[in-house]
Amino acid sequence: MNVWPLKFRPTHDGAILFADDAGGFFRSDGAFLDRYALGALTGSDREFLSANGHAFETEGDLDHTGFAYRWASRQAAAGDLAYVILVPTLRCNLACSYCQVSRADERARGHDWTEETLKAVIAFLDGLKTESIKVEFQGGEPLLRVDLLERVRAFCRRRFKSAEFVVCTNLQRLGAAEWAFIDAPDTFVSTSIDGNVATHRAQRTITDDKTEEFFSNLDLALERLGPGRISALPTIDVEAPPPAASVLDTYARYGIRSIYLRPINYQGFARKRHAALNVMDRWNAIYREFVDLMIERNAEGGETFEEYYLVHCLRRVLRTGQDGHVDLRNPNFLGRDYLVLDHDGRFYPTDEARMMTRIGQIDLSVGDIFSGLDTSKLDALNAHATNLFDPDCLHCPYQAFCGVDLVDDIAREGRIDGPKIHTDFCRRHTFMFDLVFELLYSRDPKVRRSLAIWAGVPDLPYSIAPEHA
Amino acid sequence: MIPLRFKVDPLPVDEPIVTRLRAADAPDAGPFDAVFLGADGPVSEFDLAGFPLRLHDAPIEDVEDDVILVLPGQASAHRLIRAASPHNTLLVTERCDQLCLMCSQPPKRHHVDMFPHFREAVRLAPRDVYIGLSGGEPTLFKEDLFRFLLDAIEARPDVRFHILTNGQHFEESDVETLASIPHDRVLWGIPLYSHVPARHDEIVVKPGAFDRLMRSFAILARAGAAIELRTVVMKPNAPDLVALARLVTTRLPFISVWALMQLENIGYGRKNWNDLFLDTSAPDAFAPIAEATDLVRARGIQALLYNFPLCTVPAAYRSLAPRTISDWKQRYLDACTTCSARGACSGFFEWYPDDRGFSGVAPL
Repeated sequence: MNVWPLKFRPTHDGAILFADDAGGFFRSDGAFLDRYALGALTGSDREFLSANGHAFETEGDLDHTGFAYRWASRQAAAGDLAYVILVPTLRCNLACSYCQVSRADERARGHDWTEETLKAVIAFLDGLKTESIKVEFQGGEPLLRVDLLERVRAFCRRRFKSAEFVVCTNLQRLGAAEWAFIDAPDTFVSTSIDGNVATHRAQRTITDDKTEEFFSNLDLALERLGPGRISALPTIDVEAPPPAASVLDTYARYGIRSIYLRPINYQGFARKRHAALNVMDRWNAIYREFVDLMIERNAEGGETFEEYYLVHCLRRVLRTGQDGHVDLRNPNFLGRDYLVLDHDGRFYPTDEARMMTRIGQIDLSVGDIFSGLDTSKLDALNAHATNLFDPDCLHCPYQAFCGVDLVDDIAREGRIDGPKIHTDFCRRHTFMFDLVFELLYSRDPKVRRSLAIWAGVPDLPYSIAPEHA
Repeated sequence: MIPLRFKVDPLPVDEPIVTRLRAADAPDAGPFDAVFLGADGPVSEFDLAGFPLRLHDAPIEDVEDDVILVLPGQASAHRLIRAASPHNTLLVTERCDQLCLMCSQPPKRHHVDMFPHFREAVRLAPRDVYIGLSGGEPTLFKEDLFRFLLDAIEARPDVRFHILTNGQHFEESDVETLASIPHDRVLWGIPLYSHVPARHDEIVVKPGAFDRLMRSFAILARAGAAIELRTVVMKPNAPDLVALARLVTTRLPFISVWALMQLENIGYGRKNWNDLFLDTSAPDAFAPIAEATDLVRARGIQALLYNFPLCTVPAAYRSLAPRTISDWKQRYLDACTTCSARGACSGFFEWYPDDRGFSGVAPL
C-alpha cells in the first residue's frame, strides 16, 4: 500500500491534525505520527488510511483515481475574462475616515471617465470572449455618474447573453435617475453598514442629516428591491469595535443574514489617520467574539446568521471547486478572469493593486484601456501565483484549502518571494482554518447546529470529522 | 397503468416496422410517419405508406407523436417512445450476468437484437427526449451499444440517454470511445450496495463483482463519463450506508449524483421482500440514510432519494425526494386522497404491497 504524503499540525486541544494534498483530513495523536514518520504503520493504521482516502495500491486504481480527481478539482482553473470592476469616477460625496480606495472631492475635476474612455471601455467589453458578464461599479461613488453606468449597462444587455450588475454605493443621495438605475432586476446593490447607527455615523456619515439620509434610503431600497438584491458589509475599527450584538441586531433588522466582517485596512489615506500597528491578534479576538455570538443566536432557532468568509473557508475545507471568491483560491492568476479598470483608463489586477499604485508604493497597473494589457508585468507576478511549490505551504496541512494573494504580500512585505509563513495572509488564514477545524471537531451541539446551517445540510454528522486512535 | 403495448390488426409486412403516429393535420409528416385517418369505435386508424394501420384503444390525443414498433404477424405494437412521457426506456436485452436479490426484472436467456429498431426510433423521437436504456445488462452487447450511442448522439444532438448497467464489462480499451461521448449526453446509472466487497457480491450474487466494479469506475472516471450511483437501501446493507458514504466522498468524488433507492416489490424483489424491505418510515430506520446524505452533501456531492413516498421521509429530507417512479407503473394509495403533497410525491409502485409496506404512510 502506498500512503500519500501527510502534513500535520498540533491542535488547540493537544491532538494532531493530518491532511493530504487533496484536502483529505483526520485527527490523531503523537503515537500515530511516530508510526507514520518511522514507517511502522500497523494494520489498523493502514485500514484507516485506506478507508479515509489517503492511500492506494497501484497507480490508476480507483483509490488513486479518486485522489487524483479530488486534487485536480481543488486547482482553480481561471476561465475567460467575465468579471470587470469599473471605476467611472473617483469622486465621492462622503469622506470616510478609513477610505482605502482613495477618493476625490465631489467637486474636483479630472477624476471621471472621459467620453473617449467610455468609448474605449465599450469597445473593450465588446471584444471579450465570454457570453456572460458581471460588471461591478465602484468608486468613488459610482452613482455620481449614473449616466455612464446607464450607457455601460445598456451596451452589456445588448452584447451578452447574460449580464449582471453590482453597484457599490454609499446610498447617500439618490434622485430619480439613481433609483431608476438600481430598480432594475439585473442590478444589485452593495453598500456599507458599519455595524450600528452610532458607528456608522462616526466612521462614515458624520452629520445627523447624512446619517438619516443613509438609513432612510436603506429602508427604501429594501422595500423597493427586497433583501435578495442588497448586500452590505461592516468595516470594523479594531481600536473601537461596535458591540457584536448590536451589529447582528442592525443587520437582522435589514434582513441581511450573511455578514462579511472586515477590519479597517490600514493603508492608503487611512494609514495617515490610523496608527499602522499590528492589529492581527486584536482583530482575531473580535472576529471570534462575533462567530461565537452567531453560534449562540443560531442555536436559539429562528433566522440564522453566517459570517461570509468563515463559511467560505469551511466550504473550501469540505468541498472542491469552491473558487468563486477571488481572494482565496489556488492558483490565483492575476489579470485572467477579472480586472479592475480605473477612472483614468488604467487596468489593475485587483482593487488593492489600484490603491497601492495610487499612494505611490509601487506601480501595479497592468496596461490601459487604450493600449491593452501589459502581459509581461502580469507574467512576472503570476510566476508566483500558486502555493503548490512554496516551501512553507508544502508542509502546511491547510495548503489544499488555502490560496495566495500576491498583491497583499507586496503591500505588506514589499516582495512576493519571501517566507510565506511570516505574511499577513498566512497568519490570517492559519487562524481561519484553525477555527474551522476547531469547530468541525467540536462536540458542542450549538456548534453542530451552526455548522449544519453553514454546510447546507439538515444535520452535520460527527463522521464528517474522522479521528484515528 | 399506462399501456406500453397496443393491440394491432396484423400488418401484411415481412419486416419489422418502426413508425411515428401523427395527427391528421401534421404539416411535416414524413415517409416513416403513420398519419391519423380517423377513429372507428375504439380503433384508431392510420395511413402507413398506403397500408391501413389499426390500433386498438389508442386515442390519438394519447398517442400523438409516439414511436411504435410493429412486428410481422404480431397482434401487438410496442410503444417504444411515448411523446407525452418523461419516462421512456428501451430494453436492450433480458440477459444478465448478475442475479441481484432485489432485481425487478429477472434475467432470461433469450435475446433479440433490437438495436436496429432503436436506431430508427431515436431518429423519430420528439425533441429533447431523455431515453433510458436498460435490461438485463446492456453492456453484455457493449460493442453494439457503443455503435448505437455514437450514431444516436450524432444523429440527434438534442437527445440524451440514461443507461442502467452493472459496470462489469468496461475495459481500459473503452476509455477512448467513452471519452468521445460528451459528458452531458449519457448518464450511466450504476449500482453499488456496500463498501464491504463480500456484501456487495452477496447482494448481486456474483463473486468478484465489487472488485470488477471498482476497476470500471476508474475507467469511467478517466473517460470523464457522467455517473449516477444507485444504492437500493435494504435490510442487509442499511448498516453500511455511512461507510459507503465515506467511500463515495473519497473514491467516487466524480459521480454526478448518488441515488438512495427504495425497494420495488416485483421480480426477485417480490420473492425476497420480507428479507430485504426496510421500512424507512419506522422510528430511527431513516437515520443511516440521513447521515449518509448529510455526509456526502456537506462535501459537495449531490444525493437524492428515489422511490421514497414523501410521508415516509423526515421533513428536513423531503426536498431530496423527487417524483421518480415511472408514470406507467405508479399509483397512489387511499391514504393519498387527502394528501396536500401528492403533486410532488413519487407515490407508490403499482405492485406496492399495502399490508407489508411502510408503517408511516399518512397524508401530509
